[in-house]
Amino acid sequence: MTAERGTAVYGEVVERDVVIVGGGPAGLSAAARLASAGLAVTILDEQPELGGQYYRRPAPAVARHWGDHRPEGGRLIAQVRAAGVECRTGHLVWGVDDDGRTLLASDAAEHPVRLRARRLVLATGAFERVFPFPGWQLPGVTTPGFAQHLAASDHTTVGDRVVLAGSGPFLLPVACSLIELGVNVAGIAEAGRPYRPSLRALGTLGHPARLRELASYAARLARARVPIWQETVVLRADGRDRVSSVTLAAAARPTRPVRTVGVDALCVGYGFRPQTDLARMLGCEVRIDAASGDAVPVTDAAGRASRADVYVVGEAAGIGGVHAARARGLAAAYDILARETRVTVPVSEARRVVSARRRLARFTALTDSLYPDPAALLATLAPALPADTMVCRCEAVRAEEIRTTATGSADGDLNATKAWTRAGMGPCQGRECGFAVAGLVRSVASDQGAGESRVEVFPSRLPVRPVPLTTLLELAGPESQEGDA
Amino acid sequence: MSTRTADAVIVGAGVLGASVASHLARSGHRVLVLERGAPGREGSGTTAGNLHMQAVHTRRPGQKVPLDSARFLPLQRAASDRWETLEEELETSVEVRRTGGFTVAETEEQCQELRDKHEWEAAAGIHTEILDGDAARAALPLLGPTVAAATWCDLDGYANPLKVTPAYLDSAARHGGRTVAFAPVRRITRNGGGWRVVAGRGAAEQVVDTPVVVDVAGPWLGEIAALAGITLRMTPVAIQMHATVRSSATMSHLVQHIGEGLSVKQVAAGNLLIGGGWPALRMDLAGRSATSLDSLVGNVALAVRVLPFIRDLRLLRMWAGPLAATPDEMPVIGEVPGAPGFYVAGGTYAFSFAPLWGETLRCLIEGKPPPVDVSDLGPGRLMERRSQEDGRIQEDNGPEQENHQDRRSKRC
Repeated sequence: MTAERGTAVYGEVVERDVVIVGGGPAGLSAAARLASAGLAVTILDEQPELGGQYYRRPAPAVARHWGDHRPEGGRLIAQVRAAGVECRTGHLVWGVDDDGRTLLASDAAEHPVRLRARRLVLATGAFERVFPFPGWQLPGVTTPGFAQHLAASDHTTVGDRVVLAGSGPFLLPVACSLIELGVNVAGIAEAGRPYRPSLRALGTLGHPARLRELASYAARLARARVPIWQETVVLRADGRDRVSSVTLAAAARPTRPVRTVGVDALCVGYGFRPQTDLARMLGCEVRIDAASGDAVPVTDAAGRASRADVYVVGEAAGIGGVHAARARGLAAAYDILARETRVTVPVSEARRVVSARRRLARFTALTDSLYPDPAALLATLAPALPADTMVCRCEAVRAEEIRTTATGSADGDLNATKAWTRAGMGPCQGRECGFAVAGLVRSVASDQGAGESRVEVFPSRLPVRPVPLTTLLELAGPESQEGDA
Repeated sequence: MSTRTADAVIVGAGVLGASVASHLARSGHRVLVLERGAPGREGSGTTAGNLHMQAVHTRRPGQKVPLDSARFLPLQRAASDRWETLEEELETSVEVRRTGGFTVAETEEQCQELRDKHEWEAAAGIHTEILDGDAARAALPLLGPTVAAATWCDLDGYANPLKVTPAYLDSAARHGGRTVAFAPVRRITRNGGGWRVVAGRGAAEQVVDTPVVVDVAGPWLGEIAALAGITLRMTPVAIQMHATVRSSATMSHLVQHIGEGLSVKQVAAGNLLIGGGWPALRMDLAGRSATSLDSLVGNVALAVRVLPFIRDLRLLRMWAGPLAATPDEMPVIGEVPGAPGFYVAGGTYAFSFAPLWGETLRCLIEGKPPPVDVSDLGPGRLMERRSQEDGRIQEDNGPEQENHQDRRSKRC
């Protein structure tokens, strides 16, 4: 009965040439190319279907009635399956074993699965960047990503009269999706001033396809007479049982109301943050990106991380959009093929991807430059956040408590602030509040002149998501599963 | 760079450093606490915060040096008394909960150990009660069927470790004590009859002349002593803790195991903390120690066996933290022989002992009789003996190494 060290050896072990974590555009692109060259490839995704967020499959009934909103995703998934990739959907990768390389996952029934590969490709995607405001916990307040998800896979709307707010290009397609479903989009509040003719914006002419995409969203919004309020942020949301109005403020003076709009849903988001827990858990070096405040894995052009056997691709390697994600997935695949096989990738094919990747990187940089840096936005929003605003809702921690602790005993240290307030300790593992908590700590640390915040992001800890103890018991062996018999 | 003076420099703003700072400051001494990082973020921030008052340890397989419970229990009794008055003393709540605790046994051998321990406890004035398996389950229905016996002690409990250290530091500050964070001590030299301590770098550099240095640097205790030319045989370890999501069930008692590494309790927020001294994968004194899956799985399997209701929960988080430890498993406290004014304290159950050790150090520093006799716990026993023949440092790491692996049940 005694459980000694070294007993965590039970459960299925999968050994493959390449294991890919994440079945979105980047992971699928890498998987299809690697498997078609004959490598034994497994792809894992937490969701019951491949596709990730962007190529999320519509529910079957929705597909029958309204078709597939992104048929290219369906084609890519079919390609992956035809190439013989082992597709493990419903698999959550939650940690790394003591050897530092075996991935710990659980299947759809939450049985443990361990996976080892000569090369790991992390295509873990991104999560939405949110920032709290008074009233953000009201029913009807969601992220733009959630609204998009409901619209695309379930053909369901978040509300009848909706304001979108935050910052970044993503607000435009979400608004279009809602309009298509008949939603009255009352307006878009954008924290920056990206939508104006300017010399910088002319650079997008080098990217006609991407430009067309943005322009077509803008045109549809104009036809639907959706106002875009620029340099505008959410001051608060009000409502009794559900959000009924949103009050907006000028981004430069985020405490002074300028407009109140009646709504039954409000979607607020500031773009995306790379999901890097697994990369960090594997010991891959990350850098803190000054513009976003995010941890970004350090990779070479092929996506290879500081560990030679780990690649980080797609949004997990830095936010760049779907086309960049696919190009990065392919670039990693070519690098792996060069190292693992004698398969020669046709020069023209490789060149095409290299030049696409460069072009898309320039486009991303250009798009980013149109919108305010998240770190700069945070520096404006964090000091203006009212004291009693709930920041970490998992652990019910308000702004004031975070500020007091950060100026007091935590001495400007993010992790000490987390430890003492419990902000970031709940089931979401700090994904939701991490950006805001870091901003609050930084804003008071610089107030004090006590120096800069020393840690910018919460550390990555096992498990990536809460994992059932019964899954762990299976790893301990049959004796531990007998329960209370 | 200017030189300042202090009556005492305390190295380490963990729970021990904070306690001694508070005791000295309240007694009128000008104290300066120097901390390499943020206060209370290493062992004192990663501990479960248990107050261990009944005897806690037995010989575990492979462990060569058992804790001397007969010697230790009177100290636990004295430590227990001080927690009673702590919140009043610190003028704030640190969430002290004396809701009692069970130590369980599963085998006949372990049951015998419970009976032995019960006698030592009685001798030390710590009231415990022995229950057979059914009586234990009647008292705590969450206990599983493998529990063959348990001792109950109403002095056991916990305090919030994230509140105790700051409360002590605040108390010190109210009496003129200062804490400088992010100021790692770099040099300690003799200066006339006292010491000169240099910490931090550049504009933040601190140079302090003081008659008294208190080394309460936890896992760094040996390194700090070495700066002053003192070699102590410390054996720091990193152990790990596991937290579940919140549970709707309520368990208001601490549950420990007499023969295996297990301590389980529920914190105010509802999460269960599972520990018991299981070793971390790697101790990293420069950063965060890495956690081990093996230890997680072993610890959880044991916890579920003793408390089956836990099996339906999810693991939320785990972390590892380093701790000071000595080769003989006993605490170290006292002035270093041959280094007047240089005091050390640390090791076994530093959290439970923080109030007692703070007071004891103050008495030793003031030349007054301490509340408990600690003359046999001084650092002299840990100083290197040099071999007569070749001057090499004697090594007897064999048993200590094993000790590292098996100190599971000890520090949590």
